[in-house]
Amino acid sequence: MAELQMPPKKKRNPLNIAKKSLMAAVVIALYVWTFLGINIDWERAFERMANNFERVIPRLFRPDWNAFDKVLDAMIETLYIAFAGSLMAAILAIPLGFLAANNMTNNRFLTAVGKWILSAVRAFPDLILALLFVVAVGPNPFAGVLAIAIGSTGMLGKLYSEVLESVDMKVVEAMEANGANKLQILFHGVIPQVIPEFLSYAIYRFEVDVRASTILGVVGAGGIGTLIFFASSNRNWNEMGLIILIIIVVVTIIDFISAAIRKRIV
Amino acid sequence: MIEFKDVSLVYPNGTQGLKDVNVTIKDGEFVVIVGLSGAGKSTFIRSINRIVTPTSGALLVDEEDILKYKGKDLRRLRTKVGMIFQNYNLVKRSNVMKNVLAGRLGHTGTFRSIVNLFSKEDRALAFESLRRVNIEEKLYNRADELSGGQQQRVSIARVLTQKPNYILADEPVASLDPPTSHQVMSYLKKINREDKITTIVNLHFIDMAMEYADRIIGMRAGEVVFDGPVSQVNEKTFEKIYGRAIREDDMRGGADLEED
Amino acid sequence: MKKTDTGLLTTGKTPSIYTSKTKSRLLLIFGVVLALYFLSTYQTNSTPGELVIGLPNLFALLAKFFPPNLEVLVASSVVAAFSETIQMAIIATTVAAILCVPLSLLGAQNITTNKYLYGFMRFFLNVLRTIPDIVLALIFVGIFGLGVFPGILALIIFSLGILAKLISETIESVDMNPLEAMQASGAGTIQMIYYGLVPQVLPQFSSLVLYVFEINIRASVVLGLVGAGGIGLVLDQQIRLYNLPNAMAIIIGIFILVVMIEYVSNKIREAIV
Repeated sequence: MAELQMPPKKKRNPLNIAKKSLMAAVVIALYVWTFLGINIDWERAFERMANNFERVIPRLFRPDWNAFDKVLDAMIETLYIAFAGSLMAAILAIPLGFLAANNMTNNRFLTAVGKWILSAVRAFPDLILALLFVVAVGPNPFAGVLAIAIGSTGMLGKLYSEVLESVDMKVVEAMEANGANKLQILFHGVIPQVIPEFLSYAIYRFEVDVRASTILGVVGAGGIGTLIFFASSNRNWNEMGLIILIIIVVVTIIDFISAAIRKRIV
Repeated sequence: MIEFKDVSLVYPNGTQGLKDVNVTIKDGEFVVIVGLSGAGKSTFIRSINRIVTPTSGALLVDEEDILKYKGKDLRRLRTKVGMIFQNYNLVKRSNVMKNVLAGRLGHTGTFRSIVNLFSKEDRALAFESLRRVNIEEKLYNRADELSGGQQQRVSIARVLTQKPNYILADEPVASLDPPTSHQVMSYLKKINREDKITTIVNLHFIDMAMEYADRIIGMRAGEVVFDGPVSQVNEKTFEKIYGRAIREDDMRGGADLEED
Repeated sequence: MKKTDTGLLTTGKTPSIYTSKTKSRLLLIFGVVLALYFLSTYQTNSTPGELVIGLPNLFALLAKFFPPNLEVLVASSVVAAFSETIQMAIIATTVAAILCVPLSLLGAQNITTNKYLYGFMRFFLNVLRTIPDIVLALIFVGIFGLGVFPGILALIIFSLGILAKLISETIESVDMNPLEAMQASGAGTIQMIYYGLVPQVLPQFSSLVLYVFEINIRASVVLGLVGAGGIGLVLDQQIRLYNLPNAMAIIIGIFILVVMIEYVSNKIREAIV
């Protein structure tokens, strides 16, 4: 086969090469910075592990069933927090969604403000919000509800505004042509189109909020997180095992129900 | 040589794919299998490289019963049987060269292929294959930038790079327009003549079968209902194979070749 | 339909758009949701009444966080803590991206044809995703003591569940035809994956890894609250010491970090896909 001709070399664009090398350099620099900067005390970590592993992991798999009633009550409180917070967010997000949708709000400046508020709210981790509200209203479930409500409003408002922007505007124009006023258009033209998706997103958000509210108690904002905090500070890993088990079961059930309902709505 | 001896295949859902098939295909032949869809054409050729496995009988390729093959033997069989598909089956995001080199995978060790260490010979062979189907200028284009006919030519180049003794083509022109169809068939015929590669093609277009085949095998409901040289075939034969009158959509048309 | 002088549409005798059956069903659902809401708010001390009474108080207390003491943000310990947060996220994302490759292949129905193996993998990934990151962090802190190492481990496990699920879904949506062609030409499984699958999923893979990096940044910010390293630790201390303006400055810093990372990551992801 020696007489066969080799394929020509691929032509390379120097700009492309420069761009790729720059990217590679940045990535390498980031990794160098990371591995030089990170400070892990391996010796101590392994020493601790040798001492603690047996005390923690096996016990997680032997849940303490005596705590069942207590843990279940706390989980139910978590569901209350998630529900109250989600519903508040589902309602609060409606005006913000309308504000941020550029076919509903004709003022460019206002839609920009709406979108900015929504993305700013989304940037805060739920737990940081919870921490703020715990300082403001004290360590109780109310702080959790507020954290969930505010945190979810950012995401729901964004999703709502996207639904609104995809609304069939022909219906709206037809109604305008018929002389309907703004409120009539809203209630008869827009809302019937968006209700199923709004509901579906709100239910989905409840699903997310259940997960989020399980940990709020770690900073004092109520629910099962409170027990998580105590179980870990008392090194009660059997109880932690039960807590994790209940979270897994309840979250899975909620996900399942929520998915089933959303399937029927849309 | 390929020999089907009383080969039957029943799919797990109970469908009879092949029924008592007895066929011998000699080296260098260009055989076209015709039949309606669902007649078992695809099952027939996919048995030869064991993409499907017949449930009874014996299937001999180069005097060895391939139905018992497993693992290494199976890979060895497949490296000497090349296959062309209706939908070209290229990696759309990869470039043409990489797609054609994939034909060498069966001949290349796993480690070498993963670190992209194809030998100089393999690269030269891949380029030569592309030249033989006149598409070497698209060497570094991504596969999804090519037209259907061009993609099918790349897939022919992939098979050539594999250096097989047999080529199986499963409805290679079903997704192409008439002129491109003839072009693709001409390349297959040319390769069959020049490299003496036994070629088995599934077609449902009567006129194309007549134009390119040396020998025609007709199938219906998993059975071989006709087997003979193309000189013995006429419209009546096809009516017998299809079990109904010939219609216009059984013809591809466009027999006058166009260059693209 | 006719218009009344108030401008509202009256349905008059025209048939309603909803049948009476759907109407009563909607009413029932509405009633249940409302009842659940009142129950929830009652149980969590957040009834609308309490909300109205509490809000002015809330704002008064939140005011104590202001003005933020932005000088804190340039303090070397704070800068170091922020760096640590980013480094934790980088390491965790990298390790998770590597570990998720075998897991997502096993969790993809078109690659793992063994029903039981696939089913088990899916179940395992789903369970993994329901365990909150903070719980993982607390367990690892329990084993390894305070510090970044348990934090990184928690992030790895947490993001592995998300990443492996998303990537196995990507793998399932892949065009299997080229893999069939390679199999037919005698290629082995690893070769098929490398030549047929990898080029198809690589852009999605990179995009999802960046997405998980965003998630890890947010998660790594809060892990410090339970002693698992990073800026959360400093925030927790400042709040405990009631240095609220300092805490607010750190919260603003976190906000800027999250927004910046999301912006850059979005730009890169847009360029990839």
